[in-house]
Amino acid sequence: MSDHFSGPRALADPAADISDVFAFPAPGDPRRLVLAMDVFGKAGPSAVFSDAVIYRFRLRRANIAATGAGASFAVDTDEVAFDFTFDVPSGANDTTHPPQRGCCATPGGDTVSFYTNDEKGGQSPGVRVFAGQRSEPFFLDVRMIEKTVATRQIAFKKVGSDTLYGTNVLSIVLEVEWEKLFGGAPMFAVVCETLRAGPKPTRIERVGRPEIKNVSLSFKMFDQVNRDLEIRDIYNSEDAFALASDYVGAYRARMNANLAFYDSLDEKIDWPLDEAGNHPLTRLLLADFLVVDASKPFHETSYFEIERAMLAGRPHATAGGRWLNEDVMDLIFTLYINGGNGPRISDGVDAPIAWSSTAFPYLAPPNPPKAKAS
Amino acid sequence: MSARLYAKRAISASDTSAAVVTHGTIALRNLEAQIEGLEPNSTPGQRRVEEQARLVDLLALRGSILASIADYERALELAQLLVCDAGREGTAFLARARGRAVFHRFGDALDDLDVAESLAADAKAVRRERAAIFQGLGRYEEAYAFREEDARRYPSFDSLGALTTLCAERGDTERAERLRAESVRRYRGVSPLPLAILEFHLGAMWMHEGRLDRARDHLIAARCYVPAYAPAQGHLAEVEAELGKLDLAITLLEPLAATSDDPDYAAQLARICADAGYPDDSRYWRGRAAARYDELTTVHPEAFGDHAAEFWLAAGGDPSKALPLARMNLENRKTPRAYALLSRAIVADEAVSAGGISHHQNVAVRDFSSKR
Repeated sequence: MSDHFSGPRALADPAADISDVFAFPAPGDPRRLVLAMDVFGKAGPSAVFSDAVIYRFRLRRANIAATGAGASFAVDTDEVAFDFTFDVPSGANDTTHPPQRGCCATPGGDTVSFYTNDEKGGQSPGVRVFAGQRSEPFFLDVRMIEKTVATRQIAFKKVGSDTLYGTNVLSIVLEVEWEKLFGGAPMFAVVCETLRAGPKPTRIERVGRPEIKNVSLSFKMFDQVNRDLEIRDIYNSEDAFALASDYVGAYRARMNANLAFYDSLDEKIDWPLDEAGNHPLTRLLLADFLVVDASKPFHETSYFEIERAMLAGRPHATAGGRWLNEDVMDLIFTLYINGGNGPRISDGVDAPIAWSSTAFPYLAPPNPPKAKAS
Repeated sequence: MSARLYAKRAISASDTSAAVVTHGTIALRNLEAQIEGLEPNSTPGQRRVEEQARLVDLLALRGSILASIADYERALELAQLLVCDAGREGTAFLARARGRAVFHRFGDALDDLDVAESLAADAKAVRRERAAIFQGLGRYEEAYAFREEDARRYPSFDSLGALTTLCAERGDTERAERLRAESVRRYRGVSPLPLAILEFHLGAMWMHEGRLDRARDHLIAARCYVPAYAPAQGHLAEVEAELGKLDLAITLLEPLAATSDDPDYAAQLARICADAGYPDDSRYWRGRAAARYDELTTVHPEAFGDHAAEFWLAAGGDPSKALPLARMNLENRKTPRAYALLSRAIVADEAVSAGGISHHQNVAVRDFSSKR
């Protein structure tokens, strides 16, 4: 049998596949900023982190550069990064779940050691870390999103079906004293990356905002410029803080087309394009990093609040960023489809299987494995 | 020299640009974890076609790494369910084509690809699968035409790796080595599994050519990427046996023969135990292999006809059972190896019929290089 395998189909390593990024002020301690990165969606109990991957949190100081229709951020070039790496767990051949030793390299040159799935995590002055398997905090109805796109009509049901219900992810949680990062400046741009380790680490994936690559960029049929281009691999390879000029036009065209499609779903235009055909959200969304203002209080529904305030020309009221329990799909569809000028667009899925808590390590413990299908 | 150091040396001998990849034990755990994570959704009505097709691929991948026929069978079973459940989705037929091709049901697989194409499945994926089936059928010119074009238009690890395996199967050793190096150079992933599979194919190629030293390097490299890679371990055992290291070969084969549901390892072990002067052990493993081949040639005749025929010509010692299997194999796939196998089966059967050769003597008819 083995002699006749048809050829090596390169299968990506799921442990390098980022599913979500979160950033929020610690609910119990406003001096601390919490960042979380999830990888390996739908991870079975055996899942472990890769020893060949660097899991990186990148932070830069952000400022509001412009408000109104041309709203944009100015992001400094100075940067701090926290790199997480993992060893090969001893007993990795076993069917049991051996702890995996991890290490977080801080921008100050310190290292924080820890073992996965230890809820106390690892600590050094000003830094606390956790890594391990947790319950998937994200919830959405993928089938109805696909149907919405295929039929060009809003297909969400009153009660949807959570595609991720009961599944687990591998999470990395980083809690830092934010005032120590950039001399007390409170507004940060945050992006997470996975990189292939080695003498010259190469980026595998990057994630900032939720659902940019899938919901916002993946659909090709509305794009009149690059109908055949699978844009996501190219997009992943880019530096989120410094997009190369080569493909910006392609990203912009795809984003403009797809956002215009979503805007058309309620048969009224809430986001008129400018003279150049640009959608008002395109520039902000292609600034694909979470922006969090740690000087503002923790709020449960704060994703894109800073950006909406910028578009409206008013001061923001929340920390922005993204909290674990936020129903971000409803927010995104409401934003894209009616710009907040109409009823909330719900995908019919309003909660994950388990809510995250307001205490470290925040994400809920992993769900037990389901019985095998017969 | 430690095993790890030994393996690293082999990798450097076969590859000048070894990639930084996930440790093989982690990669295998995570393959398991992917399967675990997708299996629970496999009840009808809850499945997403893409995920189930992905599960079919993952099971087939694990089957190829661990030499697990049960995984291949589960993959095909899921693909069948998928077609029942999503009969208007090209992806479902593409998945079933892959599952059927693994069991050498090439005609059925080509039919599935035609349907997949008519249902607008990913055109490139359909063409790649069709090329793989042509390769399995021995329709090399058609396979080459696509693989060459694919590698030229979309030069990547995938396309160059596929062309490498085709060249390797045809014995175009120089080009296969050159393409392997280029494939590895283009590899951007961190999973060691595709690299291990590529090394395995090169190892099998050099075995066929009788260049045991080179075969050994590639097979050790494959095991360095993924220590539990069963076919690489099995082939390495055969190489070691040919080099006269019978006890080492037995050590490598015993755990595989004891745990794998693929009888190839028991068959090889029976043969090598006989050569090493362990007739009781040889008899034991021969019995296990014979029973399993009988099962498998009943359930999956196209897939196991050639392997079973090889067994009956060698350690199995019964050319009369080999002959119909070799004939059936040639009807299914007209590869040079299928012709060679039938030729050997006819010669061995005639010799036995003429009474000029006993079953035990017939074991000696085997020819290490020509049987692959």
